[in-house]
Amino acid sequence: MVVTDSRMIELVNIGRSFRRADGRTVAAVSDVSLTIPEGEFVCLIGTSGCGKSTLLAMIAGLLAPSQGSIVVDGREIDGPGPERGMVFQRDSVFPWMRVVDNVEYGLRCRGVAAPERRAVALRYLDRVGLGHVERAWPRELSGGMLKRVAIATVFANGAKVLMLDEPFGALDYVTRHQLQRVLLDLWDDGRAGTTRRTVLFVTHDVDEALLLADRILVVGAGRIVDDIRVEAPRPRDTDTLLRSDAVAIKHRLLGHLGLERPLAQGRAAGAAA
Amino acid sequence: MKVRHPTRDRWISLAVLAALALGWQVLSLVYTAEAQPGEPMVAGWQVLFTRTLLSLSDYWPGGLGVPAVADGAERSYLAALLAILLHSADTILRLAAGLMLGGVAGLVLGLALSWSRWTRRLVDWPLQFIRTLPLLAMVPLFQLWFGTDALGEVVFVAYGIGVIVFAGTVNAVRNIPQIYLDNARALGASRLFLTRTVVLPAIVPAMRSTVLLSLGAGWGAVLGAEYLGAQSGLGYMIVYAQQFAFLDRMFLVALLFVFYTSVSTVVLARLTGRMLAWAPEGQRA
Repeated sequence: MVVTDSRMIELVNIGRSFRRADGRTVAAVSDVSLTIPEGEFVCLIGTSGCGKSTLLAMIAGLLAPSQGSIVVDGREIDGPGPERGMVFQRDSVFPWMRVVDNVEYGLRCRGVAAPERRAVALRYLDRVGLGHVERAWPRELSGGMLKRVAIATVFANGAKVLMLDEPFGALDYVTRHQLQRVLLDLWDDGRAGTTRRTVLFVTHDVDEALLLADRILVVGAGRIVDDIRVEAPRPRDTDTLLRSDAVAIKHRLLGHLGLERPLAQGRAAGAAA
Repeated sequence: MKVRHPTRDRWISLAVLAALALGWQVLSLVYTAEAQPGEPMVAGWQVLFTRTLLSLSDYWPGGLGVPAVADGAERSYLAALLAILLHSADTILRLAAGLMLGGVAGLVLGLALSWSRWTRRLVDWPLQFIRTLPLLAMVPLFQLWFGTDALGEVVFVAYGIGVIVFAGTVNAVRNIPQIYLDNARALGASRLFLTRTVVLPAIVPAMRSTVLLSLGAGWGAVLGAEYLGAQSGLGYMIVYAQQFAFLDRMFLVALLFVFYTSVSTVVLARLTGRMLAWAPEGQRA
């Protein structure tokens, strides 16, 4: 595991409240402080409506926090920036651009010359296994392929911090596992070169978190309620999920999600066997 | 799965058209009442394409070596054809100028006002108000403001089309899925770049029906303007014929309109269809 001392993301007393239709103010996120070192793969897990997507949207700069400050790569953020990339839960690929033009979009925003950005886009399309459909229209692709395009797009844009908001939630079992592998493969690029990219991955799937994360943050009622390290070596597979430490974490997570009595009951190990 | 039969569908459409034409002919034979002596209420095709067509040479003001009937010349098919071309060109030019002017102004204004939530709120209510204002009610006002010459007509058509395009643009921009805007912003798009690469292409499917709608309104507006005061154009031909109860001429000019509106709709649908190669088939057809 590569964990350097450099702090990539730093949240200080972040809060965000919304005004509901009836005039009452509801806090989606309250008083979250958090430090994430460069290169760490962090999964955010929590029940629906716990504030994890709001937290992500704030770090992405798409939503301004009501209070607190967010520092990414040494700079306090004020809106979206090219050092951060976002993969959304719903399909975000522009249907009016061909696949390769979609992947180039971020580079085009920053004025990268056409041949150069085309080369980058094609390279990442190849990496996600879509080299053969570069000229296709998005409507011709399946849901899983569209997710591959979205992943290629943020990687091509060269962001240091990647945020993924339940990206594989709507996909079937096989496709989800293929895409997890694609994502880890791209993330692992960092190992050979300099440092890995920092990833924030929102999910509600406990196994997915165990397979992907260095660290799992449990979000509940707008706060970080648990912070768990996953020490299992990579590459991980289904067997990883059967390791005793993974099983313990799984029980702890299921407890947080209200699907199981808390670990303190002492039944956990027995139930897993 | 639905199977499409384009050839068969076309034949059916043609058969319906032929039946309509035949029905008209039968009606002209059965219903022989006359508006005035020698002027049938329902003119059959044999009248429309001989005597009526010939009579349109009255609208030729002379020139190109073809003298005007008003100057004592005989009626001729050549003069009639020239008259149709001349007056059609006048009307179409007014329509085209108004369409360009109103379309561009409506689009730019609509995009500008969609810029922020505040500017959108600003126009929400007045927009509903202006939309419901009957276009033709404004004809006399525009004539006093801008005169009865070509300028007044073009401005009037531009107004009629501009309102529709403006409202359509505001509405279309509002309906762009937020995810595309978020995605573009997250990838680093500036406001202007986002407008060009996301907003404009995203509104094309919705704008397509707006443009077709405004084209219909445009034909209505140019005719309305010509009814009241113009000295040329197809609308002028109809009003002039009405004064003398030349029903057959009015019908023939109306047929010309059917032809022009059909052609303009097809051309526009083709043009916008090409811009929608990316869209699902249902939005292109």
